[in-house]
Amino acid sequence: MSDEKRAKKKLSRRKFLVRGGLGTLGVLAVGTYLFRNPIRRSLADFANTVETPYLGDTKTPSIWFEVLNDNSVILYSPKVEMGQGTFTGLAQIAADELEIDIDQIKVVNSPSISGNMDDFGTGGSTSISSLWQPLRELAATTREMIKNEAAKKLGVEVATLSVANGIISSDGKTMSYAEVVDGVKEWKVPKTPALREIKSYKFVGKPIPRVDLKAKVFGEHIFGMDASMPDMLFGAVVRPSEIGAIFEDADIAEAEKMPGVIKVVKEKDFVGVVANSRMEAENAKHAIKTTWKTDKVWQTKDIEDMIKVGQGTPITIQKEGNAKSILEDDQDKITAEYHSPLGAHAQLEPNGAVAYVEEDKATVMISTQVVKITRDEIAKRIGVSKDKVNVIPTFLGGGFGRRLHTPNGIQAAVLSKAVGKPVKCFLDRKEEFQHDTFRPPTHHVLKAKLRENGMIEAIEHNVSSGDVAFGSPLLPGIAPALMGADLGAWRGGMINYSAIPNYRAVSWRVKLPFATSWWRSLGLLANTFAIESFMDELAEKAGKDPVQYRLDQIGDDERGFRLKEVIKAAAEKAGYKDKAENGRAMGFACSVDVNTPCAQVVEVSIENEKIKVHKVTCAMDPGLVVNPDQVRAQCEGAIIMGMSASMYERMYVEDGQLRPIIYGPYRMALMRHAPKEIDVVLLQNSETPGGVGEPPLGPIGAAVANAVYRLTGQRLRSMPLEAS
Amino acid sequence: MKISFHINNQPQTITIEDQNTPLLWVVRDLLDLKGTKFGCGKAACGACTLHVEGQAVRSCSFPVHLVEGKKVTTIEGLGTPEDPHPVQQAWIEEIVPQCGYCQPGFMMATAALLEEIPNPTDDDIDNNIINVCRCATYYRMRKAIHRAASIKNDSTTNSVNS
Amino acid sequence: MKRKDLPLLILIFLVIGFVFSTSYSKSIDSSYSLVEINKNVISNKENFTKIMSVLTHERCLNCHPNDNIPKQGDDGHPHYFGMMRGKDDHGFEATKCSTCHQAENNKYSGVPGAPHWGLAPASMGWQGLTHKEIARSLIDKSKNGNRSHEDLVRHLTEDKLVLWAWEPGVDAEGNTRKVPPVSKEEFGTAVKQWFEDGAIIPEE
Repeated sequence: MSDEKRAKKKLSRRKFLVRGGLGTLGVLAVGTYLFRNPIRRSLADFANTVETPYLGDTKTPSIWFEVLNDNSVILYSPKVEMGQGTFTGLAQIAADELEIDIDQIKVVNSPSISGNMDDFGTGGSTSISSLWQPLRELAATTREMIKNEAAKKLGVEVATLSVANGIISSDGKTMSYAEVVDGVKEWKVPKTPALREIKSYKFVGKPIPRVDLKAKVFGEHIFGMDASMPDMLFGAVVRPSEIGAIFEDADIAEAEKMPGVIKVVKEKDFVGVVANSRMEAENAKHAIKTTWKTDKVWQTKDIEDMIKVGQGTPITIQKEGNAKSILEDDQDKITAEYHSPLGAHAQLEPNGAVAYVEEDKATVMISTQVVKITRDEIAKRIGVSKDKVNVIPTFLGGGFGRRLHTPNGIQAAVLSKAVGKPVKCFLDRKEEFQHDTFRPPTHHVLKAKLRENGMIEAIEHNVSSGDVAFGSPLLPGIAPALMGADLGAWRGGMINYSAIPNYRAVSWRVKLPFATSWWRSLGLLANTFAIESFMDELAEKAGKDPVQYRLDQIGDDERGFRLKEVIKAAAEKAGYKDKAENGRAMGFACSVDVNTPCAQVVEVSIENEKIKVHKVTCAMDPGLVVNPDQVRAQCEGAIIMGMSASMYERMYVEDGQLRPIIYGPYRMALMRHAPKEIDVVLLQNSETPGGVGEPPLGPIGAAVANAVYRLTGQRLRSMPLEAS
Repeated sequence: MKISFHINNQPQTITIEDQNTPLLWVVRDLLDLKGTKFGCGKAACGACTLHVEGQAVRSCSFPVHLVEGKKVTTIEGLGTPEDPHPVQQAWIEEIVPQCGYCQPGFMMATAALLEEIPNPTDDDIDNNIINVCRCATYYRMRKAIHRAASIKNDSTTNSVNS
Repeated sequence: MKRKDLPLLILIFLVIGFVFSTSYSKSIDSSYSLVEINKNVISNKENFTKIMSVLTHERCLNCHPNDNIPKQGDDGHPHYFGMMRGKDDHGFEATKCSTCHQAENNKYSGVPGAPHWGLAPASMGWQGLTHKEIARSLIDKSKNGNRSHEDLVRHLTEDKLVLWAWEPGVDAEGNTRKVPPVSKEEFGTAVKQWFEDGAIIPEE
């Protein structure tokens, strides 16, 4: 990267801090009512396009790298590995600038006590994109530090040194990094050196096998669930089955007498038990008689009645031209409504933790996406200062946003404190389902007016959704007041067809009686389902080919260019046809998420009255691709996970309880549902890496619905999609 | 009570009060073989799949007293990095795992399948491999299962020939 | 005659045969007084009804499907995860009934179990059949695995898988499963009497 570009990059980051910093906006937001909406809109627009910067240390190589005696290097990652392949990507990036072999680098989680933490956490498809620049700079700086020291030890000029595979050579003399590092007491951090040319990288851009592959194939103990400490006991916490239940009291007499029980711990807000084994803890837990206070017995209908466009406060998140008045005046406007259901994370590893609280310090091993928040919450609850709480993140048995909220860490710590020993404590599966932080249900109303030539004159998307970002510890409490619309709920909810003269998107916020939050891609799946289904409906009304119809209404700016390129690539690779043939039909949809455009073509048939997806072609442009194999893997997984959420999954509420409580009744995609063919085409129309983990989840639901329509003439406007 | 069995070809005797304790927790917490995972505890997800007498069993729903005198194999005993089972070899070659949590269960189920059907069809795979993977690595898993079958068949042929 | 009418014809013959044989056997047995005969007829009906209340209960019927798909729960929904009969009534080749179901109930997982857990043979598919049709299939050696009346009595009163219906354990949420409407003992007595009485299928 040239200096000029780097300067530009730095500039844009500074710009972000000024524009995106909530403090700055807070001052502006106190302005008159007149200004509020435009400010919010510009913030929404900004958050939709800006790449989230890395919000942790980028200056201290010593907390990032450690050189071992065997001349390997440990990279302490502030981002956790939850399957998205981040450890592999970071290893590639660091190895290239450290000038070591990929086998010489080992990526481990950075414990909180090291100070190498990220304020943001792991999520939002930002790990590689946000660390791309700082990690290369840190690795290059580390390399230069070692070289400087080597020059001293070898008694030569730095300029004479060459480096390969962690071995420094000069004039026939060689020294390994390990030898250089040995015995050095003080390091001088040099100025950030120039980075290597991207095309000279050995690992970036190559399909390097995952660095955690062997650990995961041979069953190593790497997950939070596998964590243990000496003399560890087992805990279990009683959790209510009913929505909104507040802990009142518990009769613990019987539980205290159960075999293996060490202590029953009654707190102001929960009751738990510590025993010698997990089963003894679980058995005792069921013997605790708990009383809960519940105000209302909720039913599915109550929730459905709440999630309706037109209820609550609307916030305009996107506005161009006069869509509102044009559509209000148009008697013949086209409208359609869409729904998506409540969805569970259903990650395989239940949430839990192993905690050991000693007199003035605590150690907690936990699957978490938010190391810093987990640490701060635990410190506050047990009354130990933050820097004395060491949160050691583990590999995550699935993240998907489920581990952005970690009360399980607090509970394990409280139980440990009560018995003075390490305690391991996990949710059971029923608790996982009932105490999830769900993907909220949504309701969408789409309206459009077509011109005589069939092109869209005005379009409007209204979405009603439960909270996603609001209520999350990731956002400051001031955010809802400031932003009005929930940036998670409307993700993917904006109109990408920027050549349309008048468009508008409106978000309606609903606070549900249970936690709804981040779920891989947030609102993207549901919003894209609505908008892209509607686009197909409009194309049909206009009598146009749905792919060309889309291309014709996207603007010519850079964002539009990249979107058009993936649309063309997907349609071409799949051989998109608008007509059903031999009992099969194709469906198309596209989306843009975290600046990564993605287009998909699916091929479906109906077998035994069920939708069968045979093939998915996916074209995506995440910018510079660090690991093409892992980007493909993310596409393949996101497509099937998106199919699962679009075609099978649904939580409901019955007599105050969230249900189902188990896999099976909570229908999910299995092997038999997975398409036999997934064809991924990667474009790289940006010089830096963009988001990968979530964007390919966008189009799949709409693409399936569009294909089913072509096959059966039946327009499916509610997820889960079922042919009838 | 005392229960004796073989685990990964090693004799093992344990003493346990509750003979109905799921084999899963004995394997994980008593024997410290944590490759076998807890996913649901209801025999619904398959993360805890291991072999008892070569048969795929969901260990969260298998009381430990039933293993008396039997042979148990877990992912740790299926193969090693030096000597991987064909299923593990195929999993590495296809780079299957994402988060990795459910993968041991899938590999154990696949290993059992290949003993019954050396060359499974896609339908055989769909019927027999019904574990749950939330990262939805099914696409690569299917490829890996076919590859494992061919690795296994090749090695069988070779050993017969040599 | 069309081929598809054949089963119907056989059915009619069978019904006529049964009616004839029952009335014939009664008429030649002079040791019964008229009152006793009536009492026997009533108790036969009672026994039959009791037996059927068990055989058509979800605990039994769920594993007597006529579509090769095991059923679950009191609503008899299809077994989750696409489990099916397989070649030997015990599931697929590697993922069998016994992958999850052991020889006993599991109180922790809520997975039910009993020895040789599996589906009844396809010939014993009872779902959707009337009581009479179930009874006929039950005593038909070509369908019941060549079981004699004595074999059937033993199967129905001693087989642990059948008796599981009265000890069905808890479900995935720890709730006790519903048991058939008559007790195991009552069922056993009814079965024995009904077969002793000649396994007569009463008219409605």
